[in-house]
Amino acid sequence: MELILEQVTISLGTQVLIQPFSFAIAAGETVTVMGPSGSGKSSLLAFIAGDLPSLLQGQGRVSLGGRDLGPLPPEARRVGRLFQDDLLFPHLTVGENLLFGMARGNSEERDARMRDALCSAELAGFEARAPHTLSGGQRTRVALFRALLASPHAMLLDEPFARLDADLRNSMRSFVFGHLKERRIPSLLVTHDLADAPAGGRVFTIGSGGKVAHD
Amino acid sequence: MGISRRLFLALAAASPLSAHSWAADWAAIEAEARGQTVYFNAWAGSETINAYIAWAGQQVAQRFGITLRHVKIADTAEVVRRVRDEVKAGKLEGSVDLVWINGENFRAMKADRLLFGPFTETLPNYRYVDTDGKPTTLFDFAEGVEGLESPWGMAQLTFFGDGAKIAAPPGSMVEFADFAKANPGRVTYPAPPDFHGTTFLKQVLVETVADPTILSVAVGKDQFMAVAQPMLALLDRLHPYLWREGRQFPQSQAQTKQMLADGELLVALTFNPNEPANLVASGELPSSTIAWQHRNGTIGNTHFVAIPINARARAAAQVVANFLLSPEAQARKADLRVWGDPTVLAISKLAPGDAKLFAASAVQGGVSLPALAIPEPHASFVPLIEAAWLDRYGA
Amino acid sequence: MRFGVAQSFGIGLVAFLWGLPLAASLAAFAATALDFAAWNSLLHHPQLPEALPLSLWTGTAGLAAALAAALLVTMGFYGTAHWQKLQTSTAVGLSIPHLAFAIGFGFLVMPSGFLARLFVGGSEPPQWVTAQDPLGLALIACLALKETPFLIAMIWSVLAQGDVGPALAGHWRSARSLGHGAGSVWLRVLLPQIVARLRWPIAIVWVYGVTVVDMALVIGPTQPPTLAVIVWADLNNAAEDINARGSAGAMLMTLALAAAAALAWLAVSLAGKKMRRFMTGGPSSFGVPKTSTTLLTAAMIAIYSLVLFTLSGMSLAGYWPYPRLVPDTVRFAAWQGLIANGGPVVLSLMLALTSSALALGLVVLWLEAVPARWDRALTISAVASLTLPAIAMASGQYRFFLELHLTGTQLGLFLAHFIPVFAYVFIVLKGPFRTFDPRFQAVAHGLNAGALRFWVSVKAPLLKAAIAIAAAVGFSVSMVQFVPAQLIAAGRFSTLPMEAVTLASGGSRSLTAAYALALAVLPMFAFLLAQMLGHSRWRLAWN
Repeated sequence: MELILEQVTISLGTQVLIQPFSFAIAAGETVTVMGPSGSGKSSLLAFIAGDLPSLLQGQGRVSLGGRDLGPLPPEARRVGRLFQDDLLFPHLTVGENLLFGMARGNSEERDARMRDALCSAELAGFEARAPHTLSGGQRTRVALFRALLASPHAMLLDEPFARLDADLRNSMRSFVFGHLKERRIPSLLVTHDLADAPAGGRVFTIGSGGKVAHD
Repeated sequence: MGISRRLFLALAAASPLSAHSWAADWAAIEAEARGQTVYFNAWAGSETINAYIAWAGQQVAQRFGITLRHVKIADTAEVVRRVRDEVKAGKLEGSVDLVWINGENFRAMKADRLLFGPFTETLPNYRYVDTDGKPTTLFDFAEGVEGLESPWGMAQLTFFGDGAKIAAPPGSMVEFADFAKANPGRVTYPAPPDFHGTTFLKQVLVETVADPTILSVAVGKDQFMAVAQPMLALLDRLHPYLWREGRQFPQSQAQTKQMLADGELLVALTFNPNEPANLVASGELPSSTIAWQHRNGTIGNTHFVAIPINARARAAAQVVANFLLSPEAQARKADLRVWGDPTVLAISKLAPGDAKLFAASAVQGGVSLPALAIPEPHASFVPLIEAAWLDRYGA
Repeated sequence: MRFGVAQSFGIGLVAFLWGLPLAASLAAFAATALDFAAWNSLLHHPQLPEALPLSLWTGTAGLAAALAAALLVTMGFYGTAHWQKLQTSTAVGLSIPHLAFAIGFGFLVMPSGFLARLFVGGSEPPQWVTAQDPLGLALIACLALKETPFLIAMIWSVLAQGDVGPALAGHWRSARSLGHGAGSVWLRVLLPQIVARLRWPIAIVWVYGVTVVDMALVIGPTQPPTLAVIVWADLNNAAEDINARGSAGAMLMTLALAAAAALAWLAVSLAGKKMRRFMTGGPSSFGVPKTSTTLLTAAMIAIYSLVLFTLSGMSLAGYWPYPRLVPDTVRFAAWQGLIANGGPVVLSLMLALTSSALALGLVVLWLEAVPARWDRALTISAVASLTLPAIAMASGQYRFFLELHLTGTQLGLFLAHFIPVFAYVFIVLKGPFRTFDPRFQAVAHGLNAGALRFWVSVKAPLLKAAIAIAAAVGFSVSMVQFVPAQLIAAGRFSTLPMEAVTLASGGSRSLTAAYALALAVLPMFAFLLAQMLGHSRWRLAWN
């Protein structure tokens, strides 16, 4: 399904952070939005997700698979999130983290899906481990699969590779984008580092005055 | 100061009694009292006293259907303050029904018209009170009682200590000062305004004043300072040999009691001449404890129970006061095994059966040579003594 | 706005149940304290020129000692295996009420006390000037010993906050890499950040120390006593003009504290420059003073144990003269008396459970429903209510409740306990809740979890240590309320602390000790329970 933004604008009181703009993200496509710090990139993601802080105002229509997301609460939008920090729940094991967003159902089936995910993440057998015992790269993989196991219809990535070292970054990029493409999930990536953008993907930049321009 | 005239009249009118009551009225009071709850505000620092009050509660519940609640108080002045605040705020049904009181606190309540009554003449047991032999039942700190408080027990300033360590107990304040000199740092008294401390000072005053008649009338500051010079002179002589050289003082009689038991002090004082015997009996003091009073007498007074003007359970409070005056209750109170507080009744006025309840017996720690009970000086002396002491020794 | 209703509800409830009675009490207090005759009488009080500085001295010295000790202990033990075990000792230390501790400590150090019997002996007690000494050293020692566990617990709460743990780990690594020894890192990097977050607990401890009544009565100086003692006596006096003088005295204490606080703030700002120079002056290999810290902690634990042991002995003792180490006679009358008189225990328990439950509920409602920008108003009110001398607040509260005919009622008594409990619970919970990483909620949204599921499955478990501690603090604060309870109960009810103080005036040491122990046991259970419930199997990364 497609993620469509129409005339979306973000402002802080009278100051306009992002001028009205529109674009559509096709299934499996990852679009990159770039801009300096404070340009409102993260706010854009928050608006799409539905938890924009009350000090900011957002307008415009966001639709996913034809459905208007506006009236829906954040947890009902089926929009997954990835952040700079993995934000794995520290009080749950790796396995419990993965199970968290999964739809209700037969517990055996859920466990099986969880273990499959661990295998795909090359973390087989890690289900009882505590998150803080994993390395940075391992945690990012778990965070990705946790989001994916919730069967999102779109993904929002807020500089997810910023804290990883250079080698890890490359492998993580291909890992993440590969899985998103495979599952045909439209994704919006926000970053200040152009190298993060997937090869051949569209890149938008938020310029001065909040104008969004396609590169 | 004091409550407004209108409010006072309203409260007085609410009272079902007139000044003169007949015997038939007492039956009516007892009937009204049934089912009421009396909040008895009484000092509660002693287990024996608390136990006695609990016993009295059981008795009045069984006999008169009254629920007695002992409200534990650290300082009666607090009750005076509370009643005054409530009356001022227009609270016609107060939190205090009966209060254990005497001295300045009584005087304050009486002056501000915070007391219900006069009611004592209507209590059937009041006729047994020894008003002749114990004049302090009629004059509380030289202030006329006028039926506004009912006598409960007798108190007399008494000293006590370990007989094994004291060869000759001092028989006067002068000897007390000599005793202190011979045993520096081992003797003291509680600081005023603790009433034991104030009474110790009053005792000094009584023993040193040139003309004792001046003590029974109200005095002003200048007059007081003139007659108090000998008292201050004796204290000046005494203080350097006191505990901590008279620069610090225990804050309560209870503390001196404890310090005696610990061995830090040689002498403690009390108002209940039977308290030392009581402490020996309960194992808190050794059996060699002795108690004594000064040769020419020590200050004695009566303690009372009174009913505030805004008491909720007035009838029941009177029934309880009457019960406390009964020979049976007084005898049990005077029993050393229970409390040991001396009775206000005249044994001669009692029926032979009741008189037998008061059989005296010599016990360990009792006062072997009881001395005269000297009446309290007039209540106006108290703040003057306290202020003079604070000025001279307080900082 | 999504939570508009919840927000109004939250603010409204807090304002009505807590803010309104508080404001009215303060107004009533101010009204009674602004009396010219009373101020005149107060300023002519012969003991005032010594009593006021004495109060400030004892309170400030007590705070300084407690803070130094708490920081030292943190330096020495944080991150080691002993840190967790220390929490248990802290829980015990926190739960002993000040009054009970003072009584036990007094018996330890007084001339005929346990220490003298142990180390000096002889047939007569030495002529020491220990308990109730004129300089207030015994009071300062008691305050310091009692406040150190509180400050340690506050530090622990700061360290448990979401953003602090990882940040500290980061700071630690970078500072070490720059050549600083462990002790130097603490002194120059970590402690300044921790202390900055401890402003309010420090203020509360300080004001408590300066204005405490019951401890000062038992172990503080007497001629002259601290100003707090004089004010309490005045407020309870039978004469109206002396009552007014007491109110004026309470106001004087408040003003003096405010002036001192302003001075301290000024001093810290001026010293700020010097401190920065110290902090950036270059690395030093100063290590953590492990031996001194261990000795200090061991000494404190020893004193606490001795106090508890002494209290137990006192409760069973009959005649126990100097220099015996064991009582001559043993009597159970004290405990029998306590058991026969179970009413106050039950009442105190009920009040503590209900007030802490309501406070927790209300505070969580506020922290969840009301945006953070409203916090400032509530924090200022809460801290103000705790930093005003209790006797000042209580006297105003009594006047206000009297007008409403709430004195001597269960509702009035409940409110009197609820008000300080709410303030403490809010202060303890505010930090952990507000610094909780908001992105966890965003993550949960992405995982199809709504607000309720997020709270139950993520936020509450992650905050359970803070919630447990807050509950225990609320419970204990309620259990030891004396001054307001005494006034509002107006003779109709008696709680455990009221019984204990009344008995202490009678000098039956065994009975007082029994009540003091009873008073300590219940909060002790609460804290131990909080320990167990709040223990996390996940730990923040360290080194």
